[in-house]
Amino acid sequence: MKTKALVTGAALLALCATMFSPLCVQAKEYILTGMKPNRLVLIDPAKRAIARIYTIPGGGSPAGIVTSPDGKTAYVTTNHMGSLVGIDLDSGKEVFHADFSDGDFADVSDGALRVRSFYGLEISPDGKELFVSESPVRLLRDEYKVEDTRIAVYRTDGGMAAEPVRLLPLPRRTTNIMMSTDGTKLYANSWDLYTLDPKDGKVLKVDKILNWQRKNFAPPGLFNVWNQFEQAHVFVTPYYTARTDTGSGKPPVPRTGLLTLDLKTGDFHMNEFEDSSAIMFSSVLSPVHHNEVYSVFKTLTKNDLEKNKVIKRVALPHPYYCVNISGDGREVYAAGAGNDIGVYSADTLRRIGEIKMPGGADLAGAWIRMVERP
Amino acid sequence: MKHLKPINRKAEQIERSAEEGKVDEAQVMQVVAGCTSVFDPGWEVDPFGGVAALCQPVEADLYGCADTCWWPAQVPDTINSYPDWNTAAPSAERDWRKLQTVFPKK
Repeated sequence: MKTKALVTGAALLALCATMFSPLCVQAKEYILTGMKPNRLVLIDPAKRAIARIYTIPGGGSPAGIVTSPDGKTAYVTTNHMGSLVGIDLDSGKEVFHADFSDGDFADVSDGALRVRSFYGLEISPDGKELFVSESPVRLLRDEYKVEDTRIAVYRTDGGMAAEPVRLLPLPRRTTNIMMSTDGTKLYANSWDLYTLDPKDGKVLKVDKILNWQRKNFAPPGLFNVWNQFEQAHVFVTPYYTARTDTGSGKPPVPRTGLLTLDLKTGDFHMNEFEDSSAIMFSSVLSPVHHNEVYSVFKTLTKNDLEKNKVIKRVALPHPYYCVNISGDGREVYAAGAGNDIGVYSADTLRRIGEIKMPGGADLAGAWIRMVERP
Repeated sequence: MKHLKPINRKAEQIERSAEEGKVDEAQVMQVVAGCTSVFDPGWEVDPFGGVAALCQPVEADLYGCADTCWWPAQVPDTINSYPDWNTAAPSAERDWRKLQTVFPKK
């Protein structure tokens, strides 16, 4: 493997010496997140500085963010979760736009469909299709009729008035939707984890979460809306349960665990590692040390998956919802909620930097994604 | 449901759901995730009986929760009814004084 890498590297260098090839441009790692109001923020983590701010259409907080495989286009849920826009990160221009509802819902006549997307957003590995979870409500004269949840599939070349090319059934209560690295499966994180066929939405497999029944344990519950698995290609999230065999008159003992779903292999595991002593909102797996998980909320926690225990936990200065990690596994980025991104050493969990948002604008519920760009 | 009688279709659906045993479709989470939950606003303690695990002060994650209607009782619904409630106040820490009470339009 090492020899092959050296040969490939030497061949690339030789190519660069003879011609100006796009292949010769060194890709650089950036952070992509959103802040209020309707801003997409590209950050150079090495410089601890904002590289560019894009004003995107629609009000409210940007929410879900996915990027094209070439790192040139970002697709963002915006407009109070009512639209998906695509932004060319080089030109800053809008290149894709889809409104989920029937027209402007403020002026619709009876029977219009008002649609919101609560965070489920994914792009296919070939960059051709976008998957958006949707919650539709039919606005009737005397009632709001809740309709079935679904996934709307858009082509990324759908243009400025994109329409779904197909609608897939989606279990209710789904938050994250994630695609396998080969693009053949779609995973829906709901009460249970559903494996879906991205062509027609057919349920291929169900891994139990809330319906996992164990003697002396309460049903596990989890809350997660952040996709942040692009570095290690493993979805990892905290979950909570409780031991109920604590004896008569004694309260159940809350337990915290980590759920992992390998997006390459489909391997699914749930393991509790401690009596709950901190709330963790979301987690990320190290792309270098595949046993190390970092989780945030009021604390930053580093877990060892193999030893199934906490390695270290430090207090954070304020709540952070989401977290990501550098490609070399050395820096952890805590984001969401407030108006800064905290940079932490993955080794020591020491705060080694921060990136403040201009004007103190809040990141709110926006995701934090890592993207490689020329 | 002895003392309540449904008078519209929505209420009939609720009654029917209860009779069909569908109430179990809503379940509480196993922990208090943050400072409040969707159906039980106003948690004042964290799962450990204290406040250290709560979002505090409220400005720390006001928009992360409010913009997704996580606090439907405490702050205006910015997804549908009052989308511009916090448009002029992008920084909760700096701009919270600009946030005002809202009233239904007549």
